[in-house]
Amino acid sequence: MKEELLFQIDSLSRGPMSVKAFRFGVPDATPSCVIVGPMTGNAIDQLWIASHLVRFLRQKELENAGFVKGEILIVPTANTYSFNMGKAFWPMDNTDIDVMFPGYDKGETTQRIAAKLFEKTNNYDYAILLEARKDHVECVPYVKILNTENSDVEDARDFGLDFIYQKDVDPIDTVSINYNWQVWNAKSFSIISGKKGTLRKIESGKVIDAIIRFLSLKGIIDYKVFQGAKGNIVTKESIEIIKSAAAGLFDALAQVGDHVAHGQPLARIYNALDGSLLQTIVSPSEGIITCRYDYPLIFQNAIAYRIAKLSNDY
Amino acid sequence: MIEEVFNVKLPVNETLTLKRNRFCPEDITTSTKRISIVTGIHGDELEGQYVCYLLGKWLNEHPEHIKGIIDIYPSMNPMGIDSITRGFPFYDVDINRIFPGSTSEFLPGQLANAIVESVKGSDYAIDIHASNIFLRELPQVRISKLFADTLVPLAEKLGIDFIWVHDAVTVLESTFSHAMNTLGTQTLVVEMGVGMRITKSYGQGLSEGILNLMAHAGIIEKKPMRVCKTAVSTLNSNVHFINASTSGIFVPTLEHNVIAMKGEQLGEIIDPLLGCVKESILSPCNGLLFTIREYPVVYEGSLIARILEENKAEKQ
Repeated sequence: MKEELLFQIDSLSRGPMSVKAFRFGVPDATPSCVIVGPMTGNAIDQLWIASHLVRFLRQKELENAGFVKGEILIVPTANTYSFNMGKAFWPMDNTDIDVMFPGYDKGETTQRIAAKLFEKTNNYDYAILLEARKDHVECVPYVKILNTENSDVEDARDFGLDFIYQKDVDPIDTVSINYNWQVWNAKSFSIISGKKGTLRKIESGKVIDAIIRFLSLKGIIDYKVFQGAKGNIVTKESIEIIKSAAAGLFDALAQVGDHVAHGQPLARIYNALDGSLLQTIVSPSEGIITCRYDYPLIFQNAIAYRIAKLSNDY
Repeated sequence: MIEEVFNVKLPVNETLTLKRNRFCPEDITTSTKRISIVTGIHGDELEGQYVCYLLGKWLNEHPEHIKGIIDIYPSMNPMGIDSITRGFPFYDVDINRIFPGSTSEFLPGQLANAIVESVKGSDYAIDIHASNIFLRELPQVRISKLFADTLVPLAEKLGIDFIWVHDAVTVLESTFSHAMNTLGTQTLVVEMGVGMRITKSYGQGLSEGILNLMAHAGIIEKKPMRVCKTAVSTLNSNVHFINASTSGIFVPTLEHNVIAMKGEQLGEIIDPLLGCVKESILSPCNGLLFTIREYPVVYEGSLIARILEENKAEKQ
């Protein structure tokens, strides 16, 4: 393992923000894979996953120098400043680094961070972003691929996760690192999991296993793995969105990953002042809960659950 | 006439409501023109509040001059305005990056959708922004090249200092203005002043400009003004961006809204701990200093100033 300083951003009053990376295997060997950790400072699950992948690979490489057959670069995070003060986005101006790609080396600070990060990560065969959802939900681990000419569902199946979300490209996606990696011919994926601001070790462990499985099946590491799931392809159309009709205290009865039946109670909403029951949210279809609203107070019309509907199309 | 265009209950005994004030003549026909004045999408940008007030005041005082429909939407992000927050609080989302939204999206997307559905059908819309808290901007209209042919002549009616025609950028397709222009409402974006503040002279100038535009469009009965002071930038290369090369405290040398000469000092980045100047910021060209940094703390890359190069600007 080689520890590298990818780049550094200086501050007037704080120590410099040093963005570190960990390189495994033989430089320029193929196949190669880059894994980039979270760019938002509240994605604790993703930081855990990135750091434990570094730990896993370091230990395996110490046991067997030929363990990594290709090349792997892991950047645990490019936004240590936000992690250190409990903020999601860039502390100075609240901008999101992951809407600044491919970056601009003469632009604003977060454009420059994006440019430096992109320059160091855009020449790999496979590129994986560890991403937390930006809305207030907890979700099952899943692979997100953007529908572009270079996207490949079959590659995504090698993670062995239950769900692969095939997302149409929105304008905002065109400035994400995932999209821009693809423009530069990498096969890129986002692995999304957990709940921001917390550590879900079991769910994170599934993601770590999935990435190790992927690296193994792609011949990047020499490691035997169990088979994972085939991967159910879901699109916007195959997700049932369940909204709250009332606002108040949100009591979730069903959890992410649960298989729920049509008509099954999912949550209750109570008046926040007098405790009266305002709504029992019931499932409109049979399927698996992929996302659940994660805050105990809920707005009216907020998305309380997303359910992958059971169908024969997977 | 105050109308509610979106309602959603909040968790603890409150309802979030978007409101508009509609001014219209007694008789409305299919040929009656309609304009929507929208502001407050970013909750920390308040310059538009004063413009809405001035327009409402004029319309209240001159009901006999109203020939079309004028909808004023002063607060498209009420919780943001109430908490000095740019985005939609709780979700921490920039509403102006999620248009047109939809009813099946999360709450900010539903709100964006409600704004679009409400404004849809207007002949014209003006989306008033201040700058953020970091920069002070001369009043300007920003127009994507995609819509320049139709929007530049409209923007000229505002008599504003500067029309900036910029390249079409994919990510900006998720803004309010792009959504409305795509739907056939000619929509202008105005940027002026600085975040969290009101610059009265800018507000007065823009409200007069909007009245003038409405007069030209036949929405109000008022003698149109002669417009003469607009400078048009039709190419991105006319605008120079000056970014900090180092972190520190920026102290401006020049005032906003002056002609800077090539090589002239715009300001300095200083280090209060060491008591030294870390960088002297110089103008790269002769031109109008239309953006200057307001918030002193800078990182490498922080925008310090923007200059419209003088010899390339097309004066009218």
